[in-house]
Amino acid sequence: MAAKRNLSKTMFATVFGLASVIAFCAGSIGASTARRVTLTGEVIDSWCQSTGIMYALGTAHHQCAIWCAVGGIPVGLRTADGTLYTILRADADKRNVASPRLLKIQTHEISVEADLYERDGGRYLLIDQVLDDHGIVNQTHADNGIQPFGE
Amino acid sequence: MRLSIAILAAVLASHPLMAAESWGLPNEEAATFSAKVVDMQCALTGDCPKDCGDGRRQLGFLTGDGKLILAMKNADPFAGASRDLLPFCGQTVTADGLFATNEGVRVFALQRIKPAKGQWIAANGFVRAWAKTNKVAADGEQAAEWFRHDPTVAALIAIGGKLGLGPDAPPKE
Repeated sequence: MAAKRNLSKTMFATVFGLASVIAFCAGSIGASTARRVTLTGEVIDSWCQSTGIMYALGTAHHQCAIWCAVGGIPVGLRTADGTLYTILRADADKRNVASPRLLKIQTHEISVEADLYERDGGRYLLIDQVLDDHGIVNQTHADNGIQPFGE
Repeated sequence: MRLSIAILAAVLASHPLMAAESWGLPNEEAATFSAKVVDMQCALTGDCPKDCGDGRRQLGFLTGDGKLILAMKNADPFAGASRDLLPFCGQTVTADGLFATNEGVRVFALQRIKPAKGQWIAANGFVRAWAKTNKVAADGEQAAEWFRHDPTVAALIAIGGKLGLGPDAPPKE
């Protein structure tokens, strides 16, 4: 009798355990795995930079980058090797459409610690700490004017 | 005859009147696809606020075969697609737009969207919302050049100047 009761308890525990695992997995469907990264780069407008439709770095493109960020185009980070990342969070600001935090550091050179998610060709950064902010260091306007309209 | 007209009307109603308009982007590909509208951060991390973040989150598409596509741009000047996609959070829609590939990076610009039971809607949601907020006509001159009349942009440029170097920095050396 005791053996039967123990078997029932074991079966219950197994079924409950399996159900918990299944429920946990179901809750995370589609979620991806991140890796920790430390990166240094320029805060950029993703659209102009990734399509190459105009010169889109530094002071020459700062005003346009502000327009695009306020307009809700994703803000990105471009590292010195030309790799582009889309920023989905900066510090405590979980907003990533016209984020006040990102508007404040547009075109700045920053160093960050972040979670990097890579999925289907996209690189997405969730920055939990801006380690260093060097301000705007990439002065490109003398060679490129003001993009895109020259004023 | 009546049957032919009915069939033509049904075909026109279910397809965009024309394919996505070319914008001359690098390695441009017109694309029409069905997918679920998702909050990008939610899809990647499992952090999922109500209503796809209520306009505060970048939105995109999750296709039937599990591909995640960021909607980087809409059809307005200097604007993203979150306003266009937000009403359809969690719904399967048909998207019409352009992929462009440059230096190995592939991005998508949304031009039109069609809900499951509805007509095609031009992806001009940002300017429509901006015009409403700023109490101007959506088809007027101010809305067409919203970026020159936006108070947030004006405040940022007043502080940083057009170059971001401060209000007194020379526009061109």
